[in-house]
Amino acid sequence: MSYLNQPDYVCYVCNCGSLKPISKIYFCRHCSKIRCGYCVCQEVDSHYCPNCMENLPSSEVRLKKNKCSNCFKCPCCFQTLSTRAGHVPLRVVPADGEDSKDVKTTPKKVYYLSCSLCRWTSRDAGIPDQSMATGGWPEQENPHTSRINTLIDYHKILASIEKQQSERKKFRPKHPYMQIIYLFSFQAMFRITSAMVRKHIGHPAKPTNESTDQPSPAVASTEVEELPTDIFTEPVEITKITTLEQRLQQPDVQTENVNELRPQHRQLLVRRSQRCRVCEHNLCKPDFCSQSAKFKIQLAAFYHVPEVRIVTCEPLRPGKSSELLLKFCNPTQHQTQVVLLPLDTPMTPILTLVDEKEEVKQDNAQQGSESPNLLPSIVRQVPVVEETKSIKITANADVVLPQNCLILPRRDDAAEYDDTGDTHNFQDDPKFVIWRKGNKAVIKLHVIPHENLEENNNQPVVIGFVMQYRYVNTITTLEHKAPQKLDLKVKLYLTIGNIVGSA
Amino acid sequence: MLRTYEGIRFFSDKQMVILDIGSAYTKFGYAGEPTPRGIIRTEIKCPDTKELRRIYDYKDTEDLYQLLVEFLHALFFKHVVISPKDARIVILESLLVPTQFRDTLAKVLFRHFEIGSLMLLSTHLATISTLGINTALVLDIGYKEATLIPIYEGEPILKAWQALPLGGQVVHEYLMKSLREIYPNVDITEKLVEDIKVRTCFVTTLERSAKLRTADAPKPPPAIKYPGIKSINIPGEIREEAFEVLWDRDNDNLSIPTMILNAIIQCPIDTRRTLAENILLIGGTAMTKGFASRLKSELLTLVKSSHYSEKLKIQTFMFHTAPSKPNYTAWLGGAIFGSVDLPLRCLTKENYLKSDRVPDWVSLIDNQRDESTVYET
Amino acid sequence: MSSFVNRRTNVKIAVGALVCEESILKGDITIGPNTIIHPKASIIAEAGPIIIGEGNIIEEMATIANRLPVDAPEPTTIPVQIIGSYNVFETDCTCEAFKVGDCNILESKAYVGREVELTSGCIIGASCSLTESDTIPEDTIIYGNECQRREMHGKPYPPISQIEFLLKILPTYHHIRKPNIVPTKNEGGL
Repeated sequence: MSYLNQPDYVCYVCNCGSLKPISKIYFCRHCSKIRCGYCVCQEVDSHYCPNCMENLPSSEVRLKKNKCSNCFKCPCCFQTLSTRAGHVPLRVVPADGEDSKDVKTTPKKVYYLSCSLCRWTSRDAGIPDQSMATGGWPEQENPHTSRINTLIDYHKILASIEKQQSERKKFRPKHPYMQIIYLFSFQAMFRITSAMVRKHIGHPAKPTNESTDQPSPAVASTEVEELPTDIFTEPVEITKITTLEQRLQQPDVQTENVNELRPQHRQLLVRRSQRCRVCEHNLCKPDFCSQSAKFKIQLAAFYHVPEVRIVTCEPLRPGKSSELLLKFCNPTQHQTQVVLLPLDTPMTPILTLVDEKEEVKQDNAQQGSESPNLLPSIVRQVPVVEETKSIKITANADVVLPQNCLILPRRDDAAEYDDTGDTHNFQDDPKFVIWRKGNKAVIKLHVIPHENLEENNNQPVVIGFVMQYRYVNTITTLEHKAPQKLDLKVKLYLTIGNIVGSA
Repeated sequence: MLRTYEGIRFFSDKQMVILDIGSAYTKFGYAGEPTPRGIIRTEIKCPDTKELRRIYDYKDTEDLYQLLVEFLHALFFKHVVISPKDARIVILESLLVPTQFRDTLAKVLFRHFEIGSLMLLSTHLATISTLGINTALVLDIGYKEATLIPIYEGEPILKAWQALPLGGQVVHEYLMKSLREIYPNVDITEKLVEDIKVRTCFVTTLERSAKLRTADAPKPPPAIKYPGIKSINIPGEIREEAFEVLWDRDNDNLSIPTMILNAIIQCPIDTRRTLAENILLIGGTAMTKGFASRLKSELLTLVKSSHYSEKLKIQTFMFHTAPSKPNYTAWLGGAIFGSVDLPLRCLTKENYLKSDRVPDWVSLIDNQRDESTVYET
Repeated sequence: MSSFVNRRTNVKIAVGALVCEESILKGDITIGPNTIIHPKASIIAEAGPIIIGEGNIIEEMATIANRLPVDAPEPTTIPVQIIGSYNVFETDCTCEAFKVGDCNILESKAYVGREVELTSGCIIGASCSLTESDTIPEDTIIYGNECQRREMHGKPYPPISQIEFLLKILPTYHHIRKPNIVPTKNEGGL
């Protein structure tokens, strides 16, 4: 949780240049590279209603215009409405000629919608109560739908003329996909009647349908909506006028009167899946079921890349050396070794320790170009490259980096509960590694903030280094190859605190 | 209808997304639908500073790029709900949009979101799709500016374009200034001002406007108590005068009505009457109560004035009503236009990646005579 | 003002009212029939008497206080706080309004200041606070973080069934103060 609420003290540099904490980055096992939300391809995975948690297939979503058919939101305050049961109002006036006893003997339960926040009810809006709890609420229809559909049909015809013309090379738009040519110009140019249009596109002439093809053009009028004269005299009750927000919830009506607000269907939300842009493998795929918080695929860097945390840091003074304790944690099932390198180290990964020498070369060649585990080439498209972001942070302190490498044993969940002490025997330099337990270790570094830093300009002290870690890629074992061992590098920037006192 | 174009059918399985990214509000939805799926503010929470920022208040290209990435991400996944990859998108843009904005938008869409194809439509031109006619004088009064382009027989008369920085923003500024004078201790935000504007203000009549701010000013409309955490009393004068900035002549003697007249004057003489009789008002500010009637009376008064009476012999002005609310009429135009399959007019991903630029009507490369050199599809 | 602070607690509880022993009552308070005061509800008649009508529900931690602002001058007349009937004061709300009509609901953590007059059928939403001098028109609901207002279609129903339930259930778990006045006119509404 601390990662979600705290400022990002330890940032990993993604391959796209973004600075992200480890909780927000992915690790593509197929490319052996760090990816983040910015440089992955995000896709809509499944749709669900945030209120009733119902999952909908995407075809149905499209049909229902991405709205839940059962849940409504309040037109007033946009909270979800609840269905309430009520009785038929007691003061039912029996219709003439009807025996009043008959009415009383059939007490009916009716349902209405009600908002628990602003207490809006469907009765406020004058929507009749329903006899079924599940709905049958009147739907709002755009009053102009038929006119717009006529216009759409007409445009489709015009477009097919344009297409046909361009195909026959008789006419070619001077500037393809230019935004300033309008379809109607063709009609003007060729003076094509709708009957000719149909001939052009191979439709049989249907004179009965003539009117739908050529919509009646809109008629302009000298009359415009006048300002109501009582606006200058009548006092206004602001509580009865809708706010802009409320109006925009129902764009086709945009009513001014509060009583004309109608409940709106709740919009569905989506679960997203993330895909690596280079190799098109999924990095993160949520479970289809909306209630489940699990993932089918979750290649978070948290499970693959050693995590670095700041333990303590001595007060920082410009030009003076201070001790910095960092905790490293190996999340993988394989032993790893971590080497800290200066920031200007080249970032290419080094492939080492593979059984057959032949394979090294082969894989290395592949590694250079692209990931070795690509999907079949038919599916793949040309990857679109986005410029990498420039790193907006600069280190303003020097770190004395150790020459030794730090060996972190594999994660062992059982060892967490084992108090008997470590079974590993590492020949650690006690000046470097000061604490070790299981797959975690704390190391000591020395930081010297730059001389030009001052106490009061509120500039945090930032250090940076390249962490090289041994990564065992087990994905290759699926393809009957020996696991690869790679020395991967990642750039880290750590905000370690503020300057205290002067030099 | 698509029988002869089997290849396109597969393509049209994907819904076309129509986006109208206005300076204050973004209208979004799918082609062929009569109403936008939603109208949201064109703003996004900056991930670094956590402040809400308008997209159009960008500092530089890089800043705009990041803002658009964040904004479009939210738009695609929270509102439009579509995987942007390989999506077909129609963007409505003004012909007068800055090239920087246009190019950056295309770059974000193609490079970051990897969309399949992009069709850029002119707001003014697409708007006339909603009318079923091909001649109209389209005046778009939005948040930042008012723009006008006459369209005659489907061809925009570009030399007659007009643009003035008149719109919702100047009204907000006026209201903010006036209310801050009355309530120096209340936090008058733009959101509050916008709500006050929409709910209480209106465009007054020409006769009353002439007398405003003079000795015999008419009795102002009733004041309104605006409740909230701190309640504000909005004087009737402010309600009435808020929109006057749109009608006041600026230093060049320009205002909204003169835009229409000046545009008509710049059009060929045989088109003038038709254009004056086919005026279409779009944009959120045009929805204000009394706006159209004030515009009409201003126009009728202006044509009789000495400045215009010699040049223009027009007596009547006629206004169209689109089958929509003016604030999303341009979107609807795009939705109608986008419902047709026109691969020729779309800029595909392949073409964009090859040329790395968006064709532009002002650019010489796209206006060469030799057609074969222009992008083949 | 000081005379009231030192005044001996003088609580008049009508027959039919249910006042829990653990409630905090200070000053001159009159409680009408069928009004229910939960444990730990406080009614503080500091500046003057508080008169509560019938059928009100005052929940835990709710505060009804008749107190003057700290810097207010000594009033010439004794301010009386009058609360009408069938109001609901939900958990942790504060009501200092000098006049509350009927059928109002103060939701949790709502605050109504001294200068406010609640007419009737008003709902003050959760954590909304009214501090300015104002008369809330009938059937108004104030809700949300910006204290939006809306006029409701009708008044909220009096919480009859809730009162009945509480009358039954509270005495089984709490000590109750004995009613000390016999109603003269009407016998409560239930």
